[in-house]
Order: sequence, then C-alpha cells, then structure tokens
Amino acid sequence: MSEPLKTTDYKSNLKPIWCPGCGDFGVLSAIYKAFEELQLQPENTAVCSGIGCSSRLPGYINAYTFNGIHGRVLPFATGVKMSHPEATVIAVGGDGDGFSIGAGHIGHVARKNIDITYIVMDNNIYGLTKGQASPTTPLGVRTKTTYYGNMGMTFNPVRMLIAYKASFVARTFAGNPKHVQKMIVEAIQHPGFSFVEILSPCVTFRGKEQFKIIRDKVVYLNETHDIEDELKAFDIANNEEHFTLGVIYKKRRPTYYEIVMEKVTAKAKTHSNGTPEISKLLDQFQP
Amino acid sequence: MLNNKNIVIGIAGSGGEGIISAGEILVNAASSEGLFVFMLKSVGAQIRGGESSIRVRVSDLPVQSQGDRIDVLVVLSWKNFLRFKSELQLEEKVIIVSDTDDPMPDEEIPLTESQREFWYKIPFAKLAEDHAGTHQAKNIVMLGAISEIFSLPKEALSKSIKKKFKYKTAEIIESNIKAMTAGIEYVKTQVVKSDPLTFEYQHREPRLVMQGNEAIALGAIYAGLDYYAGYPITPSTEIMEWISRYLPQRDGIAMQMEDELASINAILGASFAGKKAMTATSGPGISLMNEGIGLASMAELPVVIINVQRGGPSTGLPTKTEQADLMQAIWGSHGDSPRVVIAPCDVEDCFDSTVLAFYIAEKYQCPVIILSDQFIGHRKESINPESMRGSKVGFRKIYHRDTPSAEDLKDYHRFKVTETGVSPMSYLGIKGGEYLGSGIEHDEKGSPRGDAANHAKMTEKRWRKFGYIKEEFRFERFYGPKDAKLGIIAWGSTKGAVKEAVLKANAMGISVGAIIPQIIYPFLIEPFKEFIENKDRIIIAEMSYAGQFRRYLRGFLRFSQYGVTVVPFTKAGGAPFMVEEILDKIIEEWKEMEARR
Repeated sequence: MSEPLKTTDYKSNLKPIWCPGCGDFGVLSAIYKAFEELQLQPENTAVCSGIGCSSRLPGYINAYTFNGIHGRVLPFATGVKMSHPEATVIAVGGDGDGFSIGAGHIGHVARKNIDITYIVMDNNIYGLTKGQASPTTPLGVRTKTTYYGNMGMTFNPVRMLIAYKASFVARTFAGNPKHVQKMIVEAIQHPGFSFVEILSPCVTFRGKEQFKIIRDKVVYLNETHDIEDELKAFDIANNEEHFTLGVIYKKRRPTYYEIVMEKVTAKAKTHSNGTPEISKLLDQFQP
Repeated sequence: MLNNKNIVIGIAGSGGEGIISAGEILVNAASSEGLFVFMLKSVGAQIRGGESSIRVRVSDLPVQSQGDRIDVLVVLSWKNFLRFKSELQLEEKVIIVSDTDDPMPDEEIPLTESQREFWYKIPFAKLAEDHAGTHQAKNIVMLGAISEIFSLPKEALSKSIKKKFKYKTAEIIESNIKAMTAGIEYVKTQVVKSDPLTFEYQHREPRLVMQGNEAIALGAIYAGLDYYAGYPITPSTEIMEWISRYLPQRDGIAMQMEDELASINAILGASFAGKKAMTATSGPGISLMNEGIGLASMAELPVVIINVQRGGPSTGLPTKTEQADLMQAIWGSHGDSPRVVIAPCDVEDCFDSTVLAFYIAEKYQCPVIILSDQFIGHRKESINPESMRGSKVGFRKIYHRDTPSAEDLKDYHRFKVTETGVSPMSYLGIKGGEYLGSGIEHDEKGSPRGDAANHAKMTEKRWRKFGYIKEEFRFERFYGPKDAKLGIIAWGSTKGAVKEAVLKANAMGISVGAIIPQIIYPFLIEPFKEFIENKDRIIIAEMSYAGQFRRYLRGFLRFSQYGVTVVPFTKAGGAPFMVEEILDKIIEEWKEMEARR
C-alpha cells in the first residue's frame, strides 16, 4: 500500500484566474478535500467542464481533466464514463453553461442515470463575459444585457433536477466549504447521476454582499428528512424564501452502465454465442 | 439498349405492396447465383404507405452504376408509378409487366407507342388470392412471373423467398411458394413471349449483399470501434441501427443521444478516455457537429465522423443524394481546424474508407470525416466475399494511438512538439499521464495560453501532421488510358457513372481517362499533377450546383499553367448522374477537341 494521497497531491501547477473573493475558491478547496477523503487516484479520475468561470476548475486539479466547449460537459463526461466505467467522472460548470446553452442535456443524463457527478457553481450571472444575465439571475436585476432589469423568471435548478428524476440531488453553499465537501463526497459515492448545486457568489458582478444575503437565507436539512420522498423534495425546492441545504433527494436506481452490462451486452452475447469474429458478422450479408 | 447479360428492372407500386421485399428477394437470389447486383430504393416521405419504387440491376458482368434506363418495368399499381415517372427513365423498347386488373385505363398511362409494344398483363392480385389465399402475396406472384418471362434464376428465387420468411410460420412460407409457382405457371400456360429479352448468365460463387451504410458500420467494427454515440437522421440511420445491434456483441457500447451536439461531444469524451469512437450523421446533423469537430482538432482527439450527405441546404432532400458538403467538411469549423476528409466511392469502398479513417485518426490524432452520400449509403450492391475477408484487397491496417513511454511520463507533455506533430497520447488509467485537454489554446503541457507566439507554434504543430499524411498515402483510382488528352475528375459516388462512361467511351474509340481520389483532404497533389500534365481538357463532374469540388481543386491545381481547359459539369443533387449524361458530355467535349485540332 502506497502513501495516502494528500490534498496537495490533487493540485495542479496552474493558478486560478478567478477574482479575489470568488465563491469558486471555496468549492475548489472542498473538492481537493473530498478527493483526499475518498483517496481518489488521479489516473482514475476525470474532471470535465464546458465554458465559464467555474469551467476553468478542471485545470486546477491533478487528474485527467478536460475543458471543452460551452454547454457540452455532460455528453463529454458521458463518453468518458462509458469508456472507462471504473473511473470517477465529475462534470463541473456554472449556471450559464448548465442551465442555458447546455440545458438540453441535463434531462437525458438524469433519465439515463449516467454514473457521473455534476457540480454546478451557481452564481446567478455570466462572469467570464463580464456580467450578463444568466438563467438564474433574479427577475428585475440589472445586468449588462438587461439594463432595465432582467425580464425572465429564474430557473429553480433543484426542482428541475427532481422533476428529471435525477437519482441524487443536493444543494450547498460555497460559504461553507465543509458542507460542500460533505455533499461532494456523498455525490461521488452515489451510484448513478448525482447533482450538486453550489451557491457560489460572484462578488464582482453580483456584489460583495452576496455571501451575507445567501448566508441569511440558508437552512440545513436535518436527519429526519426522508431523502427518498420525492414530493417532500419538491416542497423543499419550492421554498424560495430559504435555501435549504443538504441531500434533498436520493434514490438508488440501476445506472446506465449496469443496464448496458446486464440487459444489453449479456443479451447480445447470447444472440451471437460469444464474441463473433468479423467473418462471422459477414454471414448476415449472405444472400 | 437490350443486352441479355444485363437487365435493369424497375418495380413501382404503393408502399404496402411489398415492393421493397420483392426487390430484396430478387437481389438475394441473383447474388446467390454470383451475379453482379445493384439496387436502389426510392420511397416517398411517408412513414408507412405512400408510394415506393425500386430499381434492380442484375448483370453477368461487373456493374458500376444503377443502369440508366429501365429494361423491364413492373407495375403493381399505375397510380403510384406516375409519381416516380421522372426517376424511372424507361428504355424506348421497355417491356412492361403489370396487373391485368389495374383500375387505370390503358390510354391514361403515359407510355409512348413503342413502349407499349411488349406489355404483359398478369392478374397478380387475383392469382395471389386464388393460390396463396391473400392478395398480399401479389409481389411474390410477380417475382414468379418475371422469372419465367426473362429466365431469371428460379431455384435461387424460391430459396430467397424461404429465407425471407424464415421467421414466419410454415404456412406462410408455403403460401408464398405457391404464389411464386402460380406466377410461373400462369406465364407458362397463358403468356406468349414476344419480347427478345432472355437473361443469360454463368453461375458463380455467391456474393454478399450489402448497403453502403452497413459496410461503414462493419468497417468501423473491423477497425476496432469501442464506442458509438449518435442521433437518428436520414440517410445515415442504418449505420447506428447496425452498430447498436452488433457492437455490444463485441463488447462495445452504442448510445443514442439527445442530439448531434451530444453525439459529437460524447465520442470526444470516449476518445479522451482512450477508446476508438465514432458517430454518423447527415445534413443538419453535421452542421450541428462542427463546433465539436473543431474541438477534436484543437484537443487532438482521434474520432471518426460519418456524413452520409443528403440534399441541402437546411432540411433539403432527406432521402436524396448530393455532394455539396465538401467545403463544409474541410473548412466547416471556425478557426484553422485540421481534419482529414475521405470519400468512399462505392459500397465496398465504404468498408475500406472506414478502416482507413480509423487508421488515420488514431495515428495522427485528429478528426477524420467520411463523406459518403445517400446514393452509396442506401443502395445495395453484391460484393465478392473474398474482398471483405481477404487481407490483400483494399485498406486493412489497424492502428492504436501512440501512448507515452516511461521516459515521456517523467515529465509528461501531452502536446509535445515533435517532428511529425504527433505527440504520445495518454489517457485515463495511465499513471503519471494526467493532463488538461482543452479547446482553449494551450502550450505543450496543456496549460491555457493566450499569447500569439504560442498560438503560432501550436497551430503549426497541429498542421504539421498533414505533411506526413500526404507522404504516407498515395491511393487514387485511374480509369481509361493515361495518355488520353481528355480527362474527368470526380469524387465519391459519382465514380460509378464516370467509370462506366469512360469504359464505354474507350470502347467507342474515344480516348478519355478519369481520376477519383479517396483521401480528399489533405490534398495529395502528385497523382493529380501527373494526371493533368498531358491533358488538353478536363471535365470536373460533381453533384454540387455551386461546383465546390472544382473550386477546391483550383486552389491546388493551376490548370491554365498546364494549358488545360476546365469544363465544369455540375448538377444539383436529387438524382445521381446517369452514365449517359457523363458519356454525352465526354462525346461533346471530344468533338470539340477534334474540331479544334
């Protein structure tokens, strides 16, 4: 048995480009600690992202990391996981990447129950392009592209994910890195698709007071919460007066890969009586 | 022109009349006799019902195309034939076989006087009802009848019928055989043969019957495909259908995604994780994938993308062919995004091109696009089984990407600038090879970098591979005499009509030669230079109204420097070139050259 890995073993040589005070720093340090807690092997860990401030995060981790194109982190991570099922595969990104340009993928990864962890650092704004409205920007908020106030209702990511039948839905707050770490650990341990919304304030474009505003609205789920109760989970998500943090919903369902192995590959092998040679595959083209 | 060794049969009717089944039975029967077969389907946009037609060319000699004109027209319902009239061009001395009880009066049927000369009327539906107990077997009655009239292989036909219905009950098989026999007996006793067409052939070893799309799927599995992700789109869907059934038998995974954006990114993920990955699409789907293809160029991920071209732009003609995605394939993504483009020219070449695509993708770590089209993808051809099994024929090399050595891993640089531009590629599971892959410009290590000097260096590195690809491959197809003054350049599926027209022209004493590339991009210039060197006049034939291929070639070849006159020969897609269209063009240009001499 080799030496246990330390948090520093998960740090890459790159320095984050984030603004001082960004919530994503807390998330990153919680990720290092979660990896250490789980003793993930860097060579068997993939962290992928699309585009955005938070999507720069994979570069700061020592593992197989990928910073792809805007909105496509979930299908990319799906391809990684299906090709290397024993690896821990984590997708990260922000509210723009996930709920705007990439929103079409979430429902499908959830219903297929791809065994990946999706961490969304939700800051209610587009930060990398310097302050435009995102799908979670509150109604009426002035941004650079909504000069007279944001016209759209905000997405409620937790409610959306429960509706999509995600098998693990949690919410946490970058202002409490210990809780973030706990949620990430549980999410990675969950077999199936796990979603963690992290309220991660953008101090530059949403204001320094964001940490305090969120902290004042935060409540934590206690142990009496029945995590398999879908209706209760909706109630929690619907409460927009407070941010209820914790594992809001969780249910063990067969993962896509388990179904592929048990229901597809096994059946296919029975049909073909083992692994057919190419010449055997040619037989079906016999007239 | 009637030829007893080569017969083109057109069958038209409504979708529910078993036209396509009948065509498949005929194709299988002919292939089991070792004949050369070419079958094209044409269906309306309706999902069920509506009209359909097929064209089956059966020949004792090798065939390159679908055959221009119909020798034998079989009509199960005249009403539906009318909708296909423009696609089923008839010989002036066409032989008609139709149902005695068709409700359309003869005078309303649009046939010329000479086309009415040989017209057999057979009560298909009634015979089916009487002998098989259902009018649905009328397609089989028809097969029996035409096999008797034109001496098609009857025993093979009855075997094919049995095979077609092998999962049905014994009664169903029995009643279909009765239907076929009824057709044969009716002709024997009630029909007096007046036409001159009697098919003559030699029995040979059975040939395989395959669609272009199936050949691509098979080629991918041969090349070691591990992971497929795709989204259904006509006319590429058969690739995914075949793969989703057979890839799991070989331990691979096939996933249907929510859209083409997901498909391309999923295969990039699989490639990043070390697997051989592919997707297939067409038309609107390939447009959606372009951003992802650019990412593959930037992150140097080996992937194979199949584009079975259809008519465009936009939704265009989903069930028809065109060759107008060429420039998009080469230059489609934003930025200077190196990718390789390969064009198969027939069904068998679909197999080879796919194996080649994986070889290049894996060896040079870049995206490879295969530009097939509906004309190849949806047609069936009979193929020599040895050419599929043998190792000598075509391209059969398999390559797995180069992985880093222990030395490389001491200080791993994923994007190390090497002599060839190819850097050893690490992937999940390799300890010490962890790196950041990205679509953002990066340095040799993989770290994001925004400076111009690094961008220039890394861009050059990614393009450097192309020099080596050009060096490694030199494969092209020449037809006709090399010293011909008249030449044709074409690509992809247009090869069939061009080759056949060139061979016909040569037989007529016209000296004309053709060249068809397989790798389209990077452009392997040498064989083209040699080809145009001694030419006076070159026809560039393509199914692109805007002449994309011609414009592309002009970027590399200074035709005027060689004193060559370029003759554009373009048409919008929809219907593929006919041999006679190309041949007429050859003759026209030949006469023009003679006149100037």
